[in-house]
Amino acid sequence: MSDLEATIDGDPVEPADGWTLAWLDEAAGIARLSDGSRSEICLVEGSGSAWVVTLGGRRIPVSVRSWRERVLAEAESAARQHGGPVEVRATLPGLVVAVAVQDGDEVAEGATLLTIEAMKMQNEVRSPRAGRVSGLSVVAGLAVATGTPLLRIE
Amino acid sequence: MATSPSDGGPSLRKDEAGPARPPFRRLLIANRGEIAVRIIRACRELGIEPVAVYSEADAGALHTGMADRAELIGPAAAADSYLSIDAVIEAARRSGAEAIHPGYGFLSENASFAHAVEEAGLVFIGPPPETLASLGDKLAARRSVAAAGVPTVPGMLVPLVADANGAMPSLELTAVGFPALVKAAAGGGGRGMRRVDRLEEVGPVLESASREALAAFGDGTLYLERLIAPARHVEVQLLGDRHGNLAVLGERECSVQRRHQKLVEEAPSPAVTPPIRELLVESARRVAGTVSFHNAATVEFLLDADGNHYFLEMNTRLQVEHGVTELVTGVDLVAWQIRVAAGERLSDAVLGATARGHAIEARIYAEDPHHGFAPMAGSVTAWRMPAGAGVRVDAGIGAGTALPVEYDPLLAKLLVHAHDRPAAIARLRRALDETLVGGVQTNLPFLRWLVDEPGFGAGSYDTGIIEERWGRGPELSAGPRAMAARAAIEARALARDGRPIAGGSASPRAENAWAAQARREAVSRRRSR
Repeated sequence: MSDLEATIDGDPVEPADGWTLAWLDEAAGIARLSDGSRSEICLVEGSGSAWVVTLGGRRIPVSVRSWRERVLAEAESAARQHGGPVEVRATLPGLVVAVAVQDGDEVAEGATLLTIEAMKMQNEVRSPRAGRVSGLSVVAGLAVATGTPLLRIE
Repeated sequence: MATSPSDGGPSLRKDEAGPARPPFRRLLIANRGEIAVRIIRACRELGIEPVAVYSEADAGALHTGMADRAELIGPAAAADSYLSIDAVIEAARRSGAEAIHPGYGFLSENASFAHAVEEAGLVFIGPPPETLASLGDKLAARRSVAAAGVPTVPGMLVPLVADANGAMPSLELTAVGFPALVKAAAGGGGRGMRRVDRLEEVGPVLESASREALAAFGDGTLYLERLIAPARHVEVQLLGDRHGNLAVLGERECSVQRRHQKLVEEAPSPAVTPPIRELLVESARRVAGTVSFHNAATVEFLLDADGNHYFLEMNTRLQVEHGVTELVTGVDLVAWQIRVAAGERLSDAVLGATARGHAIEARIYAEDPHHGFAPMAGSVTAWRMPAGAGVRVDAGIGAGTALPVEYDPLLAKLLVHAHDRPAAIARLRRALDETLVGGVQTNLPFLRWLVDEPGFGAGSYDTGIIEERWGRGPELSAGPRAMAARAAIEARALARDGRPIAGGSASPRAENAWAAQARREAVSRRRSR
């Protein structure tokens, strides 16, 4: 039907074959998935490439892109690896217990930037590459969620 | 009970039809969420004008809109609104309420509040303030209950303190036995609680446990109690009036817990045989005899693998899980709380009520069961609750409700009633399959898993069920992944002109409410410096 591709947690996922979606309540995102003999109610929220599908009560984030969007995104990420600014985000929810850098600091790849405590474990956040710290947006004592932007390396 | 609505015959006896005239003209509900809604409904049925209170965060909340009038009592922070004795009393005065129902949590077990309500010339729907004060001290309660001949969890009856040299009272601690629990004398809910497996582990945990208890209850006193494991959590529902009558309304099984807080409750308990029930009821009556109350009350016990029971604590307030008892006994606990507070006698039907059939409650929380049941913040988009025979939903929210991070993330209680336990489980499974909550992760995947869990189905489970059998839940398997991929691809293709569905640029991971709350606090701390 389209050239749309889905990824879940960064992994490409082949969509279930033979199933179609019909809205029961589009405003609320309530839909029925059916393959003609079986059906399942699900919730769909989102727009553009960012979607969340709720099945059996479980929210599943799904990224939906056309192949053009994917190629563009891949090129962008490749560019980022070669000198573009890199956003460093929290990879787990926890409490920032120490910040080792401040804006303007030059850091080497692998240098400790800050420490996040989660489940009583101290997790060091290291620099993905050499560069200059900017946009530091957390302080010690702050709780962060997964995905919270911490700082940028330029 | 001789009759129930399912008999098809006349289901209301004279004394169940409600009092001849309303017990109060106007009643203020000092709570929020589903329990405020529950009490508003009871008021309506009794002909009482309900008055709600709300914080600035709850201006658009369900309970705020349902009452005849609603009084603003302060900002979002509970300490400045729902926990503010002055603000609540003032709201009652302003609105001309004659009585205050505290619900559960917040001020429901606060002796100073109960006292302030009486000082203001209003009726407190609860026990006398002295009862709340005496039950608040778990150690004192353990002593008086033990003196009444009721088995208590083996352990200390006096506070645990180090001597002048910082040494532990080793003999006393050894006598308790290990593994053991360090517990807070002033409260429950798992706060200040630490498991210790050896004598040497006690000293190191005392400081943090005491600090936690002090922060939560304003009292850092600790004691040591033997750990009963495996154990089931079973509680007996009581209802007393001002004339010395006591109704014993059977037990509830509450062993499905995370963080020492209940998620699923059922009545009767699959672990309680008639001989065990007889002993539980006798103990509950004895515990009731140690305090004065004219209200709903609950005596909580641990039940070990051999069927021995041990007193844990007593609450003289409405419990979250009161609904399962209402379903099996047909007794409206909230209505009777209000009626006995006004001085009415318990009816013969209430005093003689027995359990009929089986009821289960599943609490629906905005929590991620795959990530340690972390509370979630956000806004509820889609909201479809189940209905049909034998299904009751006590909800505190509706579609479009924002979930303030300041409060408990309980969204609704889904209750089912059927003629026996297997039928009740089948009904709960069906009801869960009809339930849809969008916009925020809920614990629905856990609940759906539980109804198919063989141990739960067999009735053989204990308070370790979540830790031992669920853990972080099953990995997302290939089937649902492929279905989710199909749904998302089709939704994007169907969405005309890229219009967002269900209000959203879906944030893939809604913010964890713990993190949001801590961030807010950190920001306000920095501001106040």
